[in-house]
Amino acid sequence: MKLAYYPGCVSKSTGKEMDTSTRAVCRALEIELEELDDWNCCGATHVSNDLVATGLAARNMAQTDLPIMTACSICYSNLRAAAMRLEEPETLERVNAVLDKKYSSAKIHHALDVILEALAEDDERIVVPLKELKVAPYYGCLLTRPTGQYSPEFPVVLEELIKNLQAEPVDFRLKTLCCGGPIFMPQEKAADDIAFRILKEAKKAGAEVIVTVCPLCHLMLDAKQKILEKKMGEKIEIPVLYVTQLVGIALGLGPDELGLEMNSVSPMAMMEKVYEKNSE
Amino acid sequence: MTGDEQFKQEVLRLAGAEVLTCIQCGTCSASCPTAHLMNPSIRKLIKLCLEGNKEEALHNETLWLCTSCLLCTVRCPRGIRPKAVVSALKDIAEREGLRSKDADYEQFFLKQIKDYGRIAELALTGEFLLVFPQGAVQSMQMGLELLPRGKIGWEIEKIKGRDEVKRIVEELREK
Repeated sequence: MKLAYYPGCVSKSTGKEMDTSTRAVCRALEIELEELDDWNCCGATHVSNDLVATGLAARNMAQTDLPIMTACSICYSNLRAAAMRLEEPETLERVNAVLDKKYSSAKIHHALDVILEALAEDDERIVVPLKELKVAPYYGCLLTRPTGQYSPEFPVVLEELIKNLQAEPVDFRLKTLCCGGPIFMPQEKAADDIAFRILKEAKKAGAEVIVTVCPLCHLMLDAKQKILEKKMGEKIEIPVLYVTQLVGIALGLGPDELGLEMNSVSPMAMMEKVYEKNSE
Repeated sequence: MTGDEQFKQEVLRLAGAEVLTCIQCGTCSASCPTAHLMNPSIRKLIKLCLEGNKEEALHNETLWLCTSCLLCTVRCPRGIRPKAVVSALKDIAEREGLRSKDADYEQFFLKQIKDYGRIAELALTGEFLLVFPQGAVQSMQMGLELLPRGKIGWEIEKIKGRDEVKRIVEELREK
């Protein structure tokens, strides 16, 4: 299988391990990735003009005829929303008038659904089954919104993948609550409060690890975790992995290949437990 | 008081005519992750738009507390996109030159896209802190987390298609 890969801006900075682990897992699953030529920012959640946002996404989608994969829920949501808007002939005409390569159509995937499709339940490539590992499936908002492949109210696709890796999804009530990330710079307190609610809920649910599908969720729950602990006066100490990192561990990929040393909360204790279970 | 009809029509043009069908049920407010901090609520904000109350619809913190999570949008029983109403108001506010730290952040973001085609988080943070120095503590704390892990991008990447991106940003902007 060959896909066009849209890494997104954070792949060069705060989301490096997302990019590293995505490439490694795809390599292991024999999914060929061809980086999208001269890709631009999708606008994230900061472009208020609908048509401009649609145009930015359309330029990316017009760079290739292959299906496009991204590991970032924000990029994914923006590309999908734009593809929906571009079905309106008037929007398509206005956007194509300013594009060099014209947009006609696109198929958009999140790395999560590509992996799920490539990885069977009893796949022999799962050499380190994540036996008894309690995983909080954290969807955040934009993987399932606007409405598309997954239910925006009660998605279960992450639970499915977690079970395929032989781990146990915990009952995580706040799994689709927004992490607050989009406003964390100008509205720090509001964002911190939401992120900490999610962390506390994951702890209450007995999670040993939280899995995310978005670099902004990851930033709020992992990079900010120690800062939030100090601010709120309560320990959390739960590692937060990108879904590609979790899958990579089960595929037997090493910490370097998955960028695990880049995570703020170390997943090493959790991994040792997994390895111990496997040697029993 | 008669409302500002022109303002109302502009919101409808940007956010969709279906906004007119709002039944004020409050599902949007009930779904919003930052509703407890909003005044007016997102439901009330839509009412203000439909009443043509430009003053109150534009001058509030509600616009900037929206995280763009789209839960209101997937749930609205009338098929309205409340988040698109927020975006329309931000767009109008910017055209009218209304400034705030939040509006500045969005402007810096868009300017980076226009100039480089991509976002350079470090430069964006630096620019924002010049107008909002109160954000320095959080930025320092995060910098200390990210720096030793090699997750600060020092370089500003510029794409080849910058002229095209500039055209998208400037020419697709509905005046």
